[in-house]
Amino acid sequence: MAANARLKSFSMRDFFDRERNLGIMLFMAYPFFLGIWLSLTDSMIGRAGQFIGLRNFVDLLTDTIFHQTAKNTFIYALVTVPFKAMLGLGLALILNRHMRFSSPVRAAVMMPWIVPTALSSLGWFMIFDPVFSPISWLFRNMGLISKNINFLGDPILAISSVCWANIWRGVPFFGITILAGLQSVPQELHEAAAIDGASVWHRFRHVTIPSIKGVVLIASLLSIIWTFADFQLIYILTKGGPANETHIFGTYTYQIGLQATEIGMGAAISLYMFPILAVFAILLLIYLRKEQ
Amino acid sequence: MKSHPKKGKERVKLSRRDFLMAGAAGLGVAAMGGLLPDMLLAAKAPAFKKGTKLSILQGSYFIAPSQDLYKRQAQEWGEANGVEMSCDFLNWPDLQPKIAASVQAGGYDIVELWGGWNYLYKDNLVELGDIAEAFGKRNGGWERYVELSYKVGNRCLGVPHGYSNGSMAYRISWFKEAGCPNAEDGNKIDLTWDEYFAIGKKCKANGHPFGQALGHSTGDPPGYCYPYMWAHGAMEVEKDGKTIAFNKPQFVEGMRKFIEGWKDAYDETGTSWDDSNNNRAYLSGQISSTFNGSSIYFTAKKNQPEIAADTHHILIPKGPAGRFYWLDTRTFAILKNSKNVPAAKEYLKWWFEDKQFGDWWRSQEGYMLQPVKKYYTDPVWFKDPKMAPFREQPKYGQNMGFAGPPNEKAAMAWSKYIVVDTFAKAVQGGDAKQAIEWGAEQLKRIYGR
Repeated sequence: MAANARLKSFSMRDFFDRERNLGIMLFMAYPFFLGIWLSLTDSMIGRAGQFIGLRNFVDLLTDTIFHQTAKNTFIYALVTVPFKAMLGLGLALILNRHMRFSSPVRAAVMMPWIVPTALSSLGWFMIFDPVFSPISWLFRNMGLISKNINFLGDPILAISSVCWANIWRGVPFFGITILAGLQSVPQELHEAAAIDGASVWHRFRHVTIPSIKGVVLIASLLSIIWTFADFQLIYILTKGGPANETHIFGTYTYQIGLQATEIGMGAAISLYMFPILAVFAILLLIYLRKEQ
Repeated sequence: MKSHPKKGKERVKLSRRDFLMAGAAGLGVAAMGGLLPDMLLAAKAPAFKKGTKLSILQGSYFIAPSQDLYKRQAQEWGEANGVEMSCDFLNWPDLQPKIAASVQAGGYDIVELWGGWNYLYKDNLVELGDIAEAFGKRNGGWERYVELSYKVGNRCLGVPHGYSNGSMAYRISWFKEAGCPNAEDGNKIDLTWDEYFAIGKKCKANGHPFGQALGHSTGDPPGYCYPYMWAHGAMEVEKDGKTIAFNKPQFVEGMRKFIEGWKDAYDETGTSWDDSNNNRAYLSGQISSTFNGSSIYFTAKKNQPEIAADTHHILIPKGPAGRFYWLDTRTFAILKNSKNVPAAKEYLKWWFEDKQFGDWWRSQEGYMLQPVKKYYTDPVWFKDPKMAPFREQPKYGQNMGFAGPPNEKAAMAWSKYIVVDTFAKAVQGGDAKQAIEWGAEQLKRIYGR
C-alpha cells in the first residue's frame, strides 16, 4: 500500500524535476570529475596518459615555482579583500547620502565591475607600462623620481601593482552590495539612537555596522573565492612574471596545462585550490543557513 | 577509308579512325612509360568533395604585407580547387594554447608549429616527409639549424618554412658617441659580450640605455638568454638529453658580468618587458640598442625614416664559448584530426612550390630566415646592407635543448621560462650563483623525469 501511495504521489512533474536535476548535476560534475581523473594521470595534450596516483600532487610539493604560486595566491586573495571591503564601505556611505545625480553617479562607480576584465586590464597594462607609464611621467616631471617606476618588474612592486588593479576592480561590488545593506537599515533606528544622544561614530559603530555585518561577510567570502580563482588580470599584466613573482593558481595552471601541455599536472595545480575554496564556500553556506 | 601513305613531301591524310587509333597507341605508350598519371594530373586539378574547407592557423606577422600575401595565396588555391579557405593569425603567446585546444577538440587543419611543438604533438600530426624532402632537395638542402630541429626522430611532421629571429639593432649616432669603431656599418662590427656591455655603459651614461625584455614572453627574452648561456659554456643538458649542464663556473662568471652590465648599461625596467616593449622603447628614442627581429627597422623605415637611417644591425655578441643564435625550425603541419588531410596536403605541396614560397619568403625582406640554402644567395639579401647580419644567422643556429634534441622537455623548459627566469632572478636578487642553482634545479625537474 505504501509503495502504491508513493507511486501515485510521484507525478510527471517530479519525474522531469529529477531528470533536470540529474542533467544539471551531470553537466556540473563532468568537468570536475574529468579534472580529478586527469590530475591522477600523466596525460599531455593530445596524448592519453596513464594512471600515476598522487604523483603530480606530490611532485608539486617540491616545486619552488608552485610554492611561490601558492604564496602569491594567498597574498593576492587575502590582502586585497580587506582593502576592497573598507573602500567599498566608504563608497557605500558616500553613495547613501542624498545628493544630486545620485543615480548616474551610482551607475558610474559600477564601471570597473561592469567593464570586461580583459579591457580594464589593458588599461592597467598601459598605466603600469615600464617605459610610458603616465604615473612615472607625472612623478618625473614633478621631480619626485629620476627614473621610471618598475611597476611590473620589481618583485614587491609587481605583486602590489596587480593587487591594486584587483582592488580597483572589486571595490564597486563591495560598494553596491553594502549600499543595498545600508538602505535596508530602518531610519527609525538611527533617529532613536540620535535622540538617545549617540554621536555619529556611535551610531555608525552600534547601528550601521551590526546591520550590514552579514552583507559584508557574504561579499568578502564571495570576493575571496573569485580572487583566488582569478586569471585574466594577471595573465594580461604579467603572465605570471617576472620570475614567477605574480603567478597565481590560475595562471600557473594555464602555463603548465596548456603551454607546457602537461594537462595532468595542470589539473593537479588547479585542484590544490579546491579544498581552500571549499572551506570558504562551506563557511558561506553555514552563514547563509544560520541567517535563514 | 584507309589512308595511303606516299613518299616524299606528299601530305599524309589521316582518317578519323586512324587518328583515334594513333592517339590510343600513343596513350598506351605513355601509360607504359609512367607518363599517364602525370599527364592526367597536369590536365586536371585534384578534385575535392564539394564543401571542403581548410582552416589554417599561424602566428601573426610583423610584416603585414606578407600576411596579406599569404591570405591571397590561400584564396587563389582555394578558388582553383573549389575549397573554402580560412586563415587565422594569432598573437604569439596565444598560438600554442590554441593549437593545443585544436589538437584536443579539432578546429584547424593546418597549423604553424614553432620550435619543439612537433615533439609535443608528435602523435597528432600527419607525416609530411614527401613534401618536405622534395622542397629541401629542390632548394639546395636545409640550412644547418633546420637540419638540427625539423624532424622528430626520423619522422618529418611538418614542412619547414624558416624562422624569424632577432639580432642587435642599434642607433648609429649613439654608438658613435660612445666610441664604437665602425659604428656606421654594422657589418664591420664584431663584438664580445664584454665589449657590447662596455658600449652600453657609455650609452646609458649619455642618457641612452640599452633595452632588453626579460618578462614572460616567448620571443625576445629566450632569443637573448639562450645564446648568452651557450656563449658562456652552459646549456640545459648534455648530448644525452638528461645530464644538466646549466650550473657551470664559466656561466656563473658570465652571469655576474650580466648583472653588472644590466645595472650599468640597461634600462632596468626590462624585467617586465615583453616582445613589444623594446620595439616601442626603441622607436620612441628611449633606448640605443636591443635584441629584436628586423621589425623595428621595418617599422622605422615606414613611419620614422630618420630613426631607420640611424639604425643598423650587428650579429649577436660572442662569448668565451663562441657565438650562438637560438634558432628552431618553424613548420606548417597537418593535424591528424583534420577531416581534410588530402586537401591540406595538396595545398601545402602547392604552397611550397618555388613560385608561392619564393614570393612569400621574399615579401618578408629578410625578416624570415631562409630554411634552405638556395635562398642564402637570393637577391633579397643584397637589397639592403643593413639586413646582412640576418643572412648570416643560420650559421650560428642552435636549437633549444641543445646539446640534446629539441624535444618536448626542451619545449617545456621554454614554456616555463626557466632560462629567462634565471636571468630575471639574477638581476633582481643580484646573486648569480643562487639564480643559476635555481634554474638548474628546475631543469632537473623537467629533464630528470
